[in-house]
Amino acid sequence: MLESLQNLANGFGIATTIHNLFYCLIGAIVGTLIGVLPGIGPIAGIALLIPATFGLNATSAIIMLAGIYYGAMYGGSTTSILLNVPGETASVITCIDGYQMAQKGRAGPALAIAAIGSFIAGTLGIFGLVFLAPPLAQAALAFGPPEYFSLMIFGFIVLSNVTGTSLLKALMMATIGLIIGTIGLDPVTGDTRFSFGSVSLLGGIEFVAVAIGLFGIGEVLINVHQPKELLDQRVIVPRFRDLYPSLQDLKRSIGAILRGAGIGFGIGLVPGPAPVIATYSSYMIERKISKHPEEFGKGAIEGVAGPESANNSSCQSAFIPLFVLGIPFGPVTAIMLGAFLIHGVSPGPLLISQHPELFWGVIASMYIGNFILLLLNLPFVPFFANILRIPKRILLPLIILFCMTGMYTVNNSIFDIWMMLLFGALGFLMRKWAYEGAPLLLALVLGPKLEVAFRQSLMISHGDFGVFVNRPISMAFLFAAVVFLSIPIIRIIFKKKGGEGNRDKVKG
Amino acid sequence: MNRDDIIGGMVIFIFGAVTTFLSLRMPIGNFRMPGTGMFPLLLGILLMVLSTLFILNLFFKNKKIELREKWFCLSELFPAQLILFFGAMVLATAFFKQLGYPLFSFLLMITLLRILGTKNWGFIFLLSLVTGLVSYFLFVQWLKIPLPKGWLGL
Repeated sequence: MLESLQNLANGFGIATTIHNLFYCLIGAIVGTLIGVLPGIGPIAGIALLIPATFGLNATSAIIMLAGIYYGAMYGGSTTSILLNVPGETASVITCIDGYQMAQKGRAGPALAIAAIGSFIAGTLGIFGLVFLAPPLAQAALAFGPPEYFSLMIFGFIVLSNVTGTSLLKALMMATIGLIIGTIGLDPVTGDTRFSFGSVSLLGGIEFVAVAIGLFGIGEVLINVHQPKELLDQRVIVPRFRDLYPSLQDLKRSIGAILRGAGIGFGIGLVPGPAPVIATYSSYMIERKISKHPEEFGKGAIEGVAGPESANNSSCQSAFIPLFVLGIPFGPVTAIMLGAFLIHGVSPGPLLISQHPELFWGVIASMYIGNFILLLLNLPFVPFFANILRIPKRILLPLIILFCMTGMYTVNNSIFDIWMMLLFGALGFLMRKWAYEGAPLLLALVLGPKLEVAFRQSLMISHGDFGVFVNRPISMAFLFAAVVFLSIPIIRIIFKKKGGEGNRDKVKG
Repeated sequence: MNRDDIIGGMVIFIFGAVTTFLSLRMPIGNFRMPGTGMFPLLLGILLMVLSTLFILNLFFKNKKIELREKWFCLSELFPAQLILFFGAMVLATAFFKQLGYPLFSFLLMITLLRILGTKNWGFIFLLSLVTGLVSYFLFVQWLKIPLPKGWLGL
């Protein structure tokens, strides 16, 4: 523990250089803007800004990109509360009570509690990251190719189970992502696959093109598809002096904040869209244990404090599997993995020992970033809210221009823009037909690692598939994956039995 | 169950089948030493199995297919505004290098603003000009990103 604190102190030394403070601030501001603006979430936002980090060293780049991630969580609550439109998917739950509070003239306290709760929970999450990551990294050294393969399979199954409404659809998307990931060079032998003689495809499909296409361009096209009247929007802008919550508000919120922090931290450690699950779980728990459950849905402050805290805390703990195992458990951390690789850093059990300045510098910057966001989000709420006054008919073309420019800068290649547009069209169709993009993106990023782990495992075992079940950690992950696969079938069986029971009761 | 789900399932099945076919033309190896085509082959087969299960599940859940007046409601799925918007992006990409970045950004903004219903030409022109200039100075002059120069040579 003492060693971790000492390392954290060194991390602060790195994070508080003028250079890194500047990039932390930029990341926090841009992240908040991205969170505030509906139509572009943290995935597309981080993907768009990866090219802007090419001239930076790895530590500064990751500091800025991480700032965008948790900044977007802060910003997302602003549109949820003021507009009843979630700025990003994890802020959906905040719409329920946050908007009701705004309707009653209490937008200020709602925004303030969301910011304060996010700060407290984010800080607690960072401390969890500091003390859990090093011992987990030690444990991860016991992982070999079979364990990595099984863990990734487990991650795909869980993500597919909790994403969208259909497990089969999500699994199909994940498989398509894995197939797209095979385009280019074989990671083991270097042979070309599915390049059709094209030089542009030799390096595979650029994951930034897929990310911006599916989540950025696709979202814009969905907005363009709406009736023209919806391209203009109205927003309530609270005054600065109305922002302060009362003592009663703080008293009611503190329990929800602490519970949300714990829930979010735990959920962030497992695969899946952690912020979304964390906010939903926190809301359900707060409603269950509240002395006034009838207030939920009508402006209960606990319904804002809990979910927003869980949201932010889950963002911090989501970095643990990424840093320690090198495996992202969600689409945003998948993009972050891509950013790491672009900067020549491989996250995993050796990250802490090989790049301590990056690991501890990023963690320290998260604390500073949370503090900056608390300072930014309260006084600058009227500014961010005014940005929402910009009609979508003006905002959408700006987003498109930014997407296309950013995409070109990755490899100075028009081909990447074409890929982005192709996946944009695909993303639009996927949204219309209720197919989720997150499993596809995660599979695209993890596919090469999964293939290498699979082939190495078979080479080690001389073709014996028993290698995946003879090793206890690998077996545990595969067993958990089977359990998660069985959940929908068990639910159907119980539903049918419940239906038969009711029919018997009616007949009786 | 509607036809969109069935068509989606069939398209995915075809994608899986094509992947399987193309993978068989690569060295597969064996399980002791998997070749280049082994992994995509297994994925292609998996995708065909999943899409088949998906389509069968649709039929078992609801044997009645909802009929629509048209096979594909193309005009609902792709209204004129959407086609024009996407078409403008495609056209701009096709002429990106020839136009050069400043002209590309200016013309793209004008076109997209107009398609989305902004009526005031003065406002459109001004906003597009400001956006083009700001993005030029931001990306080309400040960040020194080598964007296409095109006819203007900027």
